[in-house]
Amino acid sequence: MADVDVLMPSEGESSVGVSRKQHLMSTFESYRAELDTDNERRERLIILSRSITQLSKKLIFHLHRNATSPSSQQKDKCLREGRAKEREIWVNFGKIKDELKSIGEGDEALKGYWRWNRQVSPGLEEYIEALSFLYYLEHKSLVPLDAVQKTLSDEAGEPLVIVTPEDYILGMSDLTGELMRYATNALSTGDHNTPLEVCEFVRTVKAHFDGIPPHMLYKLSKKQEETTRSLEKIEKVCYALRLRLIEFADKPEVLAMMAKRALEDAAEREEKGRED
Amino acid sequence: MSVEATTSRAQTVSETLSSAIELLENDQNLKKQIRESIEPIDDLSRSATTELNKLHSAPFSQHAEICQNAINIIIRSQPLWVDVAKLIPENEFYRYQFALGPTMRQLTTSIVLARFILHDELTPSHTISTILGLQSDQNGVLQLSAEDYLQGVIGAVNELPRLSVNAVTSQNFDLPIKISSFVNDIFASYSLLNLRNDALRRKFDSLKYDLKRCEDVVYDLTLRGLTKPRE
Repeated sequence: MADVDVLMPSEGESSVGVSRKQHLMSTFESYRAELDTDNERRERLIILSRSITQLSKKLIFHLHRNATSPSSQQKDKCLREGRAKEREIWVNFGKIKDELKSIGEGDEALKGYWRWNRQVSPGLEEYIEALSFLYYLEHKSLVPLDAVQKTLSDEAGEPLVIVTPEDYILGMSDLTGELMRYATNALSTGDHNTPLEVCEFVRTVKAHFDGIPPHMLYKLSKKQEETTRSLEKIEKVCYALRLRLIEFADKPEVLAMMAKRALEDAAEREEKGRED
Repeated sequence: MSVEATTSRAQTVSETLSSAIELLENDQNLKKQIRESIEPIDDLSRSATTELNKLHSAPFSQHAEICQNAINIIIRSQPLWVDVAKLIPENEFYRYQFALGPTMRQLTTSIVLARFILHDELTPSHTISTILGLQSDQNGVLQLSAEDYLQGVIGAVNELPRLSVNAVTSQNFDLPIKISSFVNDIFASYSLLNLRNDALRRKFDSLKYDLKRCEDVVYDLTLRGLTKPRE
């Protein structure tokens, strides 16, 4: 920035005119070079961020397709493949790091990270959502912030990008929506534990986030509405499930059939809700 | 799944969330502190703008004094920037730029306007940094970004058509010529930039209209033989 400016002659009154114009033109040519470099870098980062978003969405779909499989062998395979996909995304974060390193080593790259944070964060948010879903399926628990940061570090433990509490919390809020889908899918395969577990989990998350004042994280207060809807759906599933478990405890085939019907009803309602 | 296992898992989840929320609160408190630290600077900035508003009504003989007053007011922000800089962690200037940028742009606008009247020049970015005291070691973390500077300059140009019109009203026929030539140079300079569709681009679009209005005033004066031939 500082090298862009060339000092104006301090007693410039006499040299005003053509010389001022020439002087300005050369100053602005430097600005042009600076803005061009910035714009190109911005474009490259946006492309990387978008591909991270795409790959993260694919990972989430992959998990939804196979994670509710009744065979534990298939489930393990799904999670292994999920990890492999997660590493593919990780490579893209490495490319972001490389891009920022091209500004300069160390401090310069870090300054660059904050400067270009807005270009990177949409992809990062989607990735955190996918990673936390994968982690939930692996551990039945919530991935801690420091674990997310560790996953997004290189082999030497250097962070590829910085995960802020804000990124993390917004990602966890999105996770509740995925878990709602996961719980309803699980119901159709006769998995009765999962909806109850998920319900408890989402309740805990929602309760904590309800304690965050809206002015502190405006984006979260909007996402909380979505979480509330997700939780209500899960609770309805659990309600129906509990009644059926009591009624047909000795007839698993009836349970499976009813679960399937409940799911179809839910899908229909969701479809209708969308049309409204 | 046993009841105990469920309970302990819920506890872990709770702890994980609580600690993340605590970190979020720290972050947000810092943001709030930074926003508050900039408020006294905004007050000074508004005083400078108020002072510069007098240009439109005061006789030409007072222009230099008004501009010098405005710059002196802005210079008083120097120690306040030190307070802001103290709050910002090293290398994280751009994380908080959203809170500082608008103030820096407004101050750039005032300085550029005042120094145009005083010296008939476009104040370079590093001079603005010097006036704000951003170049001292204590303030190393702060900087006037190219984007903020370029937007601030256009802010000053946006004031000039009005000033040109009002100069004619108070029978100062030299100032519109000076303004028109300045705006012309600036418009030519900005035309060199490859802008994308962002805030700077929209600001640039406003320059065209400013230029036209300034030239119209000169046309009116020329038509009536009110301009002195330039040496």
